[in-house]
Amino acid sequence: MADTETTGTTETTEAETTETTAPTEAEASETEVAESATTATEPGTELATRDDDAAVAGGEHAAVPLLPGGLRPHPEPLQYVLIALVLVVVTGLEVWTSYLDQVLVDGAIIALLLVFAVVKFFLVASWYMHLRTDSKIFRRFFVLGATGAITLYLVVLLTLHVFGD
Amino acid sequence: MAQTTTDVERHDGHTPAPAGSGAHGAEHGSEAMLTNTKLGMWMFLSSDCLFFGAFISAYLLYRGRSEEGPVPEDVYNIPFTSVTSFILLMSSLTMVLALAAIQRGDYRRLRVWLLATALFGATFIGGQIFEFTEFYREGLALDTNLFGSTFFVLTGLHGAHVTGGIIWLLSLWGLAAQGRLTSADSEKVEVAGLYWHFVDVVWIVIFTVVYLVPQ
Repeated sequence: MADTETTGTTETTEAETTETTAPTEAEASETEVAESATTATEPGTELATRDDDAAVAGGEHAAVPLLPGGLRPHPEPLQYVLIALVLVVVTGLEVWTSYLDQVLVDGAIIALLLVFAVVKFFLVASWYMHLRTDSKIFRRFFVLGATGAITLYLVVLLTLHVFGD
Repeated sequence: MAQTTTDVERHDGHTPAPAGSGAHGAEHGSEAMLTNTKLGMWMFLSSDCLFFGAFISAYLLYRGRSEEGPVPEDVYNIPFTSVTSFILLMSSLTMVLALAAIQRGDYRRLRVWLLATALFGATFIGGQIFEFTEFYREGLALDTNLFGSTFFVLTGLHGAHVTGGIIWLLSLWGLAAQGRLTSADSEKVEVAGLYWHFVDVVWIVIFTVVYLVPQ
């Protein structure tokens, strides 16, 4: 494992010094705009321009290359472990909050619990399911299903006065 | 849709991953494109949101309306369920580590993490069976009251999803043990991982809404 990761790092370093046309993460938010611009310009020219922009922008993300399609590579195993630690802490806070019924009113407890659940949901979906790095079409499908379900059933429950009793 | 077209065109054109993306990134570069398998799984997960949403809503709709029999406060064992929830959460970590392993070509760790994920899932299911048994001994069955019906159907369907995931993981582990699962097949692990993480996020919602939110 160590050997593999070392090799990967070496490749990255070499690429930074020899490849001047590789797109970088700095313009990740501009990917869609750049995609449309690419169709109107010569690919080589476009990439060189994007690289120049990234060099001007600088910053810690400038050295991370994008994959074809404007995608970012998956996180490293250490990042997965760090996310797991955050999930453990949030779960602990969640369980602890549920025992605060002598201190907080029910409304405050419910609000806190929902916030914790949403944080955990987004951490798993974005990091472990790679929604933050994969194609936007996957994110759109999932957001469509999740928000559609929440909206639909919220309307049903509100219509049936579930939260009014 | 423009993004989709671009991705497909690039995938078909076999555009190489940019230099410097490393072994992990380069592998991802060939797998992260829009493929039918991944798209199909995301469509399934999207529809499954509606499936579980219906049963969570049914639980909320009938919550506190049971006229006889045990109610949640009588039977819930929050510390025990917290531990099993923690185990399922950690299985998501081992699952994603299995994916990282196959993308690096580290097949020994792939087998370890796949088996660990399946074992964590089996432990969760064992805890659920123990919980159901305890509830039954305390007088709560599927037809006891509205709480029993909605609780057992919701958590039972989730447990069925987890069980399906365990079988899937063990199948992948069997392929890996025979050397029939290589880096070129990493999408198989990734798609199984998507399913597994989904049952985890569904449990995150169920654990909060069903167990922790004050009744």
